[in-house]
Amino acid sequence: MLTVSGLVKRYDTRRADAFAVRAVSFDVAQGEFFTLLGPSGCGKTTTLRSVAGLETPDSGEIAIDGVSVFSSAKGTVVPVAKRDIAMVFQSYAIWPHMTVRENVAFPLEAMGVNGAEAKRRIESALSIVGLTAFADRPAPMLSGGQQQRVALARAIVKQAKVLLLDEPLSNLDAKLREQMRVELRDLQRRIGTTAIYVTHDQDEALSLSDRIAVMKDGAIVELDTPQALYLRPRTTFTARFVGQADLLPCTVVERGADRLALDTPLGPLHSTVFPPGLDGTLALLVRPEHIEFRDGEAAFGRNMLGGVVQRVLFSGRLVEYVVQVGAAALRVQATSRSLKAEGDRVTLHLPPERCVVVAGDADS
Amino acid sequence: MRTIEALPAQSAAPGEVKRPIAWARWLPAIGAGAVLAYLVLVPLLLMLVSSLRPGGFPLDPGWTFANYATVYGAAGFPRLVGTTIAFAIGSTALALALGIALAWLIERTDLPLRGTIRALVILPMATPPILLAIGWAMLLSPRTGFFNLLIRDVFGLAQSPFNVFSLGGMIFVEGLSLVPTTFLFLSPAFRNMDPSLEEAAITSGAGIGMLLRRILLPMLWPSILAAGAFLLIVCLVVFDIPGTLGMPARIFVLSTQIYYLAVDSPTGVPLYGQVSALAAFFLCILFVLGWAYHRLTRQAQRYRTITGKGFRPRLMRLGGWRWVAFAGVSAYFLLAVVAPLAILFWTSLMPYQTRVTWAALDLVTLDNHIDFFANRRVLEAAGNSLTVALVAATAVALISVVLAWLVVRAKIPGARLLDGLAFAPVAMPGVMLGVALVYVYLTLDLGFAVYGTIWIIAIAYVTHYVSFGTRLANGVMVQLHPELEEAGAASGASTVRVLRRITLPLIWPAVVAIWIWVVAHALRELSTALMLQGRGNVVVPTLLWDYWSGGEPNRAAAVGVWLVVALVIFLSLWQAVARSRLERSS
Ligand SMILES: Nc1ncnc2c1ncn2[C@@H]1O[C@H](COP(=O)(O)OP(=O)(O)O)[C@@H](O)[C@H]1O
Ligand SMILES: [Mg+2]
Repeated sequence: MLTVSGLVKRYDTRRADAFAVRAVSFDVAQGEFFTLLGPSGCGKTTTLRSVAGLETPDSGEIAIDGVSVFSSAKGTVVPVAKRDIAMVFQSYAIWPHMTVRENVAFPLEAMGVNGAEAKRRIESALSIVGLTAFADRPAPMLSGGQQQRVALARAIVKQAKVLLLDEPLSNLDAKLREQMRVELRDLQRRIGTTAIYVTHDQDEALSLSDRIAVMKDGAIVELDTPQALYLRPRTTFTARFVGQADLLPCTVVERGADRLALDTPLGPLHSTVFPPGLDGTLALLVRPEHIEFRDGEAAFGRNMLGGVVQRVLFSGRLVEYVVQVGAAALRVQATSRSLKAEGDRVTLHLPPERCVVVAGDADS
Repeated sequence: MRTIEALPAQSAAPGEVKRPIAWARWLPAIGAGAVLAYLVLVPLLLMLVSSLRPGGFPLDPGWTFANYATVYGAAGFPRLVGTTIAFAIGSTALALALGIALAWLIERTDLPLRGTIRALVILPMATPPILLAIGWAMLLSPRTGFFNLLIRDVFGLAQSPFNVFSLGGMIFVEGLSLVPTTFLFLSPAFRNMDPSLEEAAITSGAGIGMLLRRILLPMLWPSILAAGAFLLIVCLVVFDIPGTLGMPARIFVLSTQIYYLAVDSPTGVPLYGQVSALAAFFLCILFVLGWAYHRLTRQAQRYRTITGKGFRPRLMRLGGWRWVAFAGVSAYFLLAVVAPLAILFWTSLMPYQTRVTWAALDLVTLDNHIDFFANRRVLEAAGNSLTVALVAATAVALISVVLAWLVVRAKIPGARLLDGLAFAPVAMPGVMLGVALVYVYLTLDLGFAVYGTIWIIAIAYVTHYVSFGTRLANGVMVQLHPELEEAGAASGASTVRVLRRITLPLIWPAVVAIWIWVVAHALRELSTALMLQGRGNVVVPTLLWDYWSGGEPNRAAAVGVWLVVALVIFLSLWQAVARSRLERSS
């Protein structure tokens, strides 16, 4: 549905290293919810705006549904208005001099759709976002959440092939954000459109997306499904960015077909998740919620560690512990079903299938 | 999927395809640049040429530095510079002191009737400087001034205590006349300062003195400096007040000296070469100031603390000082509006200049007012004034909006140069602009007459007021979130449709505000019109000047009264528009 290849964009051509986007390539399938995730300034917005046609990249190719909309080689630059896209902006960009209905009607007006057909599409878009009752309100007299819905309605009324969303939830408060997240996902499924979503919030990305491209410094570092990115990241950057992560430096002691024996500051550990090539610096990722407490002073077996609870952070649903294991400290997350106290001696189990070896320096 | 457009050169070699785009990108810059160059650069260049001609006219043969030698070698030159600078600095200081006090009292204290007073600031704005000067001449002239005679009677003095026809008098009246401008500049800075910054200082244990010294003044300093630089420019080029109060006493500043050399010279012929040489020197100083102002406002923008959170500023309790402050503010209005307009009104009802006494009430006559409405010359002037004001305002609004869009939004190449060019005329004295346009339209032959018609005045006003119009339009365009327009394009609308349906409706209040502002200012602008005065293009301010300098103060007063009425109407409209814009954006 959407193909982006070799996208390069520099805003400051005087500085040789000032790339906003360097060689970004990805494919998005029909009906897919695709997310660009990364810290602020990594080039997500620039990539999205290049797809929309609001920025002209320096080089690369962009095709929507097999039709080239940008090609530096052929010199094709299709203007924004002629691309089959719809966009939801971070600021919502609701036109304050129009009513809700006029805002939503505008794309149809621009496309020359009018009469009964336009009316039907406007009503349907408004009812999808639940704003039928507000149709004749002046746009500025809406709450943040409602403005967000107007922006969505205005985008879906166009029935474009690709829906582009630039941090659409970042201006909402936490509660509303979670509610809109669910609605957004449902809506995209229902109308079956292809969506490109930009965010710096990993929770949002993981819960919404079919696939996520993790970006850093203008390039995609990893591209996979949310589960794969969370459970089997390949780099320390992704491991940290998509969730809480304790990373430990490690070296390979023995290599089996599906199992590695590692030397770590916690002692010897086994891992069953590791990249095919094992070059360069490696780090071991263990997520705090994957570490299990074992009752009693169980015999020290494989991936079993003895330690002392240093700190307890109780937040109701979850309890976070810091456990001292030898010279290293490890974060452990557990439910509040059974509680430990500071100073308790505990035994920890690190399941080998949740001990993930990733490329990169553990301390960087 | 709808139609897809490729660039025309799709089949050409890859290296060639970008060239037509690059060319097209420069077209708007070239178009706008040509208009601005015609309005701004051509007059300046011809002025420079004329300063180097022996005969003082751009088309005269030969080159010379004699004009420069005459002007800068003249015995009176150091005094001219000294007087000009003393006048400018004195007036600026007075206007700043009064303006800051007024802005602070109205925006940040519990001064009684703050809302009403804020609305009343429109009155001194509607009082043209020349009327203020004439009014104060009637109040403080040594022979017949109302206040002088009053004080002499009360204290039994043999001599008048005040003489308004002096440097001090000029500074006093100029300072008063610039207070509303200062207030308009500074009140947003006072109003928009986030109160949490002050509260943070107070909760850190700062007292009033420390709050003022360490937080408020440093934060307001860029705005105050910018206002000061702007006022200094205005005072260096202003003509009305030094012309009315200084010239009778032979106290000359730059602008009156130019007027004197061009219109009233002792030899009887305009000394255009010397005028240009004099102008060239001051232009350099003024451009430096203009550049400084530009820098300072950019800095002031950085300090702007609009958070959009709809806060209410903390008001300081004045306590017992409330009514003292109120009395001070009332005194300002008395001096800047009530007293000069009252004496003007009185004079307009008198057949000749008389003392204000009960006995004189028997002389009251409407003759001057009837004359205002019956006299052909007056009606012609009023018609000319309106035509010029409306045409100039429409052109300025149009040019400003297009330029602001090109500079701020389209970010065309050369945008900064265009912006600087549009702002440059702010540093050109009205008399200088007038002289420069005389050169242009006596030199260029366009095939129809411009010199001596109202159109040359209209062109001068467009040139001058585009500098103000673009500031306002730029500000509004900056505040217009670019995503509003991008959302239009992403909806599938063409650039033209986005401009028509989104950009224009959103900036419409600013267009109207520029329009009304220019109308109000064009109606009262004197100096340029005076330099460009011919037979067929008398406007109300020049008529006023002719009556006044021709010894007909009563007729001048009647013209002045009606001018104020017209200006109050226009400025009330402006306030109404500004208020509706505020309400809409909140
Ligand atoms: N209009 C612009 N002019 C200059 N630099 C820009 C512009 N827009 C973005 N950048 C720079 O490009 C980089 C990528 O920006 P952006 O795509 O907005 O990042 P993100 O959306 O991931 O936060 C940043 O370093 C940013 O400073
Ligand atoms: Mg962004």
